[in-house]
Amino acid sequence: MWIGCTDSTADHDGCNPVQSNYLNFLVSAFIVYGMSQRHNDGGSNGRRLGRRQWLSMLGVGGATALAGCSGGDGGDGSDGGTGNETDGDDGMDGGDGGDGSTDTSTYSTAVSASFTTLNPIYNTENGAGNAIARALDQGYTFDEDNEYVPLLYDMSTEDGEVWTFEVREGLQFSDPYGEVTASDFVYLVQEIHQSSWAKSAATTSWQGVTVEETGEYEFQATLESPQLLWPESFDPLLYPIPQALLEPFVAEQDTDGLRQNEELLELQFSGNLGPYVLDEWQRDGGTQYTRNDDYYLQNADDLPDVFNEAPYFDSAEIQVLGEQASRLGALETGEVDQAAIPPERVEEYRNNDEIHVNRVPQPYNEKISVNMRDNGWTTGPGNMFRHKEFRQAMAAAIDKQSLIQGVFRDFAETHFTWQPRFSNFYPPEEDIPQFGVGDSYGSEFARGLAEEAFGQSEYDYSFDGETMVDPDGNQVQLSIYHSAGQETEQLMGEFIAQELGNNLGIDVSVEAIDGTRFNNEYWTTTEFPTPERNDDGEVTNVPDELVDTVNGEEVEWTAPTATNPGPRNVTANEDWDMEIVFGLNTYPRNPLTNSAFFDGATAFYNPVGYYPGFNAEELFDSAQQASSEEELADALVELFANLAEEQPYIMLAFPDSTVGYREGLQGPIENFSNGWNLPAWRYE
Amino acid sequence: MGFGKYVGARVLWAVVVSLIITTVTFLLLAAAPNPAIREAATQAALQGGDPAAAVERERELRGLNQPLYVRYMDFIQSVYTLDWGWSESRSQPVTEALLQALYYTAQYSIPWTILTITLGPLVGVYSAANMYSWRDHVATGFAFFGYAIPNFFFGIILLLIFGVWFEVVPISYDTSAAVFSLQNVRQLILPVFVLVTGSIGATMRVSRNESAEFQNSDFMKTAKAKGVSPLRAYAYHVMRPTLVPLSTTLVGQLLALFIGSSLLVEVVFGIPGLGRLTFNALLSQDTNLVLGSTLVFTFVAVVGNLLEDLVFTVLDPRINYDDR
Repeated sequence: MWIGCTDSTADHDGCNPVQSNYLNFLVSAFIVYGMSQRHNDGGSNGRRLGRRQWLSMLGVGGATALAGCSGGDGGDGSDGGTGNETDGDDGMDGGDGGDGSTDTSTYSTAVSASFTTLNPIYNTENGAGNAIARALDQGYTFDEDNEYVPLLYDMSTEDGEVWTFEVREGLQFSDPYGEVTASDFVYLVQEIHQSSWAKSAATTSWQGVTVEETGEYEFQATLESPQLLWPESFDPLLYPIPQALLEPFVAEQDTDGLRQNEELLELQFSGNLGPYVLDEWQRDGGTQYTRNDDYYLQNADDLPDVFNEAPYFDSAEIQVLGEQASRLGALETGEVDQAAIPPERVEEYRNNDEIHVNRVPQPYNEKISVNMRDNGWTTGPGNMFRHKEFRQAMAAAIDKQSLIQGVFRDFAETHFTWQPRFSNFYPPEEDIPQFGVGDSYGSEFARGLAEEAFGQSEYDYSFDGETMVDPDGNQVQLSIYHSAGQETEQLMGEFIAQELGNNLGIDVSVEAIDGTRFNNEYWTTTEFPTPERNDDGEVTNVPDELVDTVNGEEVEWTAPTATNPGPRNVTANEDWDMEIVFGLNTYPRNPLTNSAFFDGATAFYNPVGYYPGFNAEELFDSAQQASSEEELADALVELFANLAEEQPYIMLAFPDSTVGYREGLQGPIENFSNGWNLPAWRYE
Repeated sequence: MGFGKYVGARVLWAVVVSLIITTVTFLLLAAAPNPAIREAATQAALQGGDPAAAVERERELRGLNQPLYVRYMDFIQSVYTLDWGWSESRSQPVTEALLQALYYTAQYSIPWTILTITLGPLVGVYSAANMYSWRDHVATGFAFFGYAIPNFFFGIILLLIFGVWFEVVPISYDTSAAVFSLQNVRQLILPVFVLVTGSIGATMRVSRNESAEFQNSDFMKTAKAKGVSPLRAYAYHVMRPTLVPLSTTLVGQLLALFIGSSLLVEVVFGIPGLGRLTFNALLSQDTNLVLGSTLVFTFVAVVGNLLEDLVFTVLDPRINYDDR
């Protein structure tokens, strides 16, 4: 399960950009079962489940193999969309499969999880975002060079503070709504996203932004502070929704009516705004579309010529096939054109002449969360996870290369700091420590770091021979949770337990848990103290439980959330030591979004109770105020060097998404932006 | 008590039972935390608002600030008027979601049930008639094989063989296929086969053993002595008494005609039926939908119990209700 892209959402880095917002960081972790879904849900799936998965940052992994057929479930092939085409894995017998024939008139995708809603205003799922994208474009996307590509509107700015949106002419809603103009977008932002009653998925994206119509096809947005990478945050990404459709709900402030409106749920207003027209959404079954002959990009002269005849299929469909074996079987026989492939079956499919497998790098990580709150380190007194050196020792005790080879079949990258290597903001290798590889891996090195940590603890932890012991002389015993049914995760958990046992003498038990239960009972809590406020909403008094001393300074939690309910003394219901249930998004397109994780002890996504040992807030501030991308990169290098040193989470790997396509399909790329040009995909 | 009064009393009792169940369900729901309120608090916190005030607003909006008995009356009224609310996980009314899922479930569960309740006793009686012959062993082996192999595994294997290798059936389920069409038969033949083999075993074995008792009974000897054909003898004099003890399960299975969904088979074959609906509703904590499907199962179970008792009298006239 990955949080970070809510299933939908959000940043998009790697997810189909649906609606970005900080909401995505919170709340219910969505669970995507299967390594599969992770690449997805959602989906999710997926990587998903759960209530709204607006989390923005997790994923879970796992894939199973069953009797030579397949296993697990999961995978979503989240498929195309204007966003990135990141699929999950799937698995079934590849190899000598049948010789299916490809239906080149229908573009069909298999996914593992169905959609919660197709209402563009409320969707927060990546998989549903892809389903919507078949019939309704969003404002813009990014191509394989990470360049901004205007779809519905172009964005420009002089200073990063005032942004001008130029709406493309010739965009048409279905009858009776007429042409898309700037007023539709402005109305949507002002009356829906910025309202207190509508609770749309993009609410937080537009907070503090002043939007103003400046022409029939032009509007401006003024930010509270400059943001050079505003488009990359996907916050300004909007769907076109007719003003006339929204007006009755706005007048009545009818949230349920807006959420349940059939025109929105079935995208009946989509006009010429998407490559296909949605024919039917069969819940639990998928979606079916027919070609939109009037697709507006056919007339766009600022895009490659290949769009002139897009889309190239007469129809499209997204099939929900819950069983991985079924998804891969459908891919083999040509019933679908795309499905995710689990790492352990990639080689088989590479030997299949009718399928080609793409390896798409992802920004979602595999890491160990260590619980630094009072309900962590259950083995004894003095939570050792709070010491940077101890976290480094753990990172140094786990062989990243072996993990990648053994668990991810080499389809993953080592993970040292909070960015994947393909990020433009990845710091120079020499600037960051690389725990878990080369000389920085091994028992001796790890024990040395652990002993440094023992020296800082007021409790008498030590090594008794090969064994790490607590002040009473008993071996340190910890547990690590993984998602039930996720074989990859279980394997990873067992490998971690083995490495921590061999190299640090810790007795680690591996335990399976349902992702939703872990999220609700261990990872988050809704029962936390809140500050007192006056009628204007200003904080007037912060209770003592929400105050702690961090690096010698008193810090107040004035806006506690379910994912950071307060200082380390405020905890979720259940005790836990370590988890690998959730993976997190590292936001390579706009790393400033990572402030949600690391912007000081009060950062609003901080379930583990991490207190940065460096001035993270200042570094984020200076990055925020950068006036050029170079300045920004400079500021971020220091940040990521510090995070590599601190290991707030024990960073392990970035698994790739491995996606199978029918041979001859033109368009898919082995790039994070895979899927940006989906309408132009075609068979030769 | 006569039959009519007995039926009347049982129907009344069924109403009471369903009321008790819905009341317990209501109380459990009332005691459980409401996820919508949690979301409201979180959103308020994110926007710099007051979570406590947001919770209060949300409670008011959802009528949770009203006295328990008022909420209870509203709840009961909604249940019995089929106003079951909105499914958040599917974005459609609960009743529509249930009907839609039922439509697909029925397409495989009806043939599954009919084949099971007809083939099971037939194969059992045939097996008994040829007891300890190779025919008996084949039938018994078939029954045990179907009973022992997990449905989802069997389904995957069959899909692999007939879908992927031979390509005689589709892998994915096409919801747009007409109910009575060759396409639908092709896509449903495997799930029905898997389910029938899974459920036929128990029926077949019980009917085999039951019918063995009657083969050498006096009335069979008389029938044979009178020259009754073997087919008629088995159909009338063996099959009928055999079905009396079997009716307990058979009627249950008949009722399951529409709700006897199979989650795993639906997952493997991609059928958007009731099993997946219920499972997904639970996973996504879609309270309204969970409640709706629970109520359906509850009502069917209550009615099923009633029908089961009544069916005894039809099958075996010696059972009556005069003394009750």
